[in-house]
Amino acid sequence: MTQALWIAKTGLDAQQTRMAVVSNNLANVNTTGYKQSRAVFEDLLYQNVRQSGGSSSQSTLLPTGMTLGTGVRVVATEKLHTQGSLQNTEQALDVAINGRGFLQIQMPDGDTAYTRDGSLKLDDQGQLVTSSGYIVQPGISIPDGAQSITIGIDGIVSVKLPSQTGTTQVGTIETADFINPVGLQPVGENLFVETAASGPATSGTPGLNGLGTILQGNLEGSNVNVVAELVNMIETQRAYEMNSKAISTNDQMMQYINQNL
Amino acid sequence: MDEMIYTAMTGAQQTEYAQAINSNNLANISTTGFRADLHSFSSIPIEGPGVDSRVNAVVESYGTDFAQGSIQNTGNELDIAVKGSGFIAVQAADGTEAYTRAGDLKTQPGGLLTTGAGHLVMGDGGPVALPPSVKMDIGKDGTISVQPLGAGPETLTIADRIKLVNPDPALLAKGVDGLFYLEDGATADADASVRIEAGALEGSNVNVAKTLVNMIELARQYEMQVNIIKEAEENADAAAQMMSLG
Repeated sequence: MTQALWIAKTGLDAQQTRMAVVSNNLANVNTTGYKQSRAVFEDLLYQNVRQSGGSSSQSTLLPTGMTLGTGVRVVATEKLHTQGSLQNTEQALDVAINGRGFLQIQMPDGDTAYTRDGSLKLDDQGQLVTSSGYIVQPGISIPDGAQSITIGIDGIVSVKLPSQTGTTQVGTIETADFINPVGLQPVGENLFVETAASGPATSGTPGLNGLGTILQGNLEGSNVNVVAELVNMIETQRAYEMNSKAISTNDQMMQYINQNL
Repeated sequence: MDEMIYTAMTGAQQTEYAQAINSNNLANISTTGFRADLHSFSSIPIEGPGVDSRVNAVVESYGTDFAQGSIQNTGNELDIAVKGSGFIAVQAADGTEAYTRAGDLKTQPGGLLTTGAGHLVMGDGGPVALPPSVKMDIGKDGTISVQPLGAGPETLTIADRIKLVNPDPALLAKGVDGLFYLEDGATADADASVRIEAGALEGSNVNVAKTLVNMIELARQYEMQVNIIKEAEENADAAAQMMSLG
């Protein structure tokens, strides 16, 4: 059958994927630490139907040939790791990272995952955990009866105990960074896991060696730009319509030849 | 039967090819840095003994539309858009140098800079490799300055410069991978006058209205060719009837 039909189909497929990415961004407009995704489009291979420079006769050459493109595909959906807006929550266990870096989380299976979502909680043993209950690495336990918890910009966690005048340091939150954060694989629950493309994690003290500082009492909002996403959505919808128009036009061409011959 | 049926058949078939080129442009309406393919029909006489009898209409690629695509601001430090004429030099899969307008750059774990489609971006001497950095900035002329990991903002160093070229578009041809190549495998020299905009991407330069009108025109053209095929069939029918006995 005619190639144009299949080419237009790749256009529909790609726009459909882009719409899914845009919808996911819009759905996560209020997700703490969410990073916006973007669909990356690439044109598919070109077919050389007639080679330019081929011989049209013994002594003449074809001045131009014919190459046919075969459509488009979504080559990647990449995360844009720009800083989300910081929102003051005044909760002692809410932390935001201002700059590069990720909190390190121990998954139930023992693997390490990474997140920018710093809405931390305490579990029944006083350990710092994420909203999903996964333990923050390195593990920090808040002693029973602590009156206040202070987290410094360098990640040092100190508590005020009832019987003491000063504060006691109970641990340090370390953050991890990657040479190519875009290569991290999002796995849901605001978590990312390391891949070959992201490179290995290098952990360190927040505020040093390029790592961002930790801000207590703040959360990092989603970095989705709502206006841009809505414009994206309109553009996607129109592009989808145009490609479906190409399909119906080709369909009419086929219909015409079927009815008339 | 009269040979006009073959002339019309070729016409219909070639119109389908043209429709495929047009549909490919439409499918790539959101592809970063995509340049629309142009097509044209030319008359190819059928040569034979004596006088050329029929003339076929044959579609051919008429090069590429190098008009500027719309520039969209993304705010992403690794996105670049070429303003005006010029191209970003990249390494094609076979190691040769090719050119593209797609500036959605990414870094590999080793620090190598690639385009969104995965082609290595060329610098002053070979592919661009960036040191681990806190912050990077791409200047108007492609100069990449980085603040290395562990250094303060006062130690901004120049890592490399993206090779920007400005060859005559007439000498460029689109390869099967969608990248542009110079004829005869030549490479273009870096051109300091090419300007880029960081934090922005250049969209596809497909003209939607033109492409849709083209699509309608080609569809009607196709119907006309089909009508001629039908006409040829009727002529043959009439001739057969006239000659039939009884």
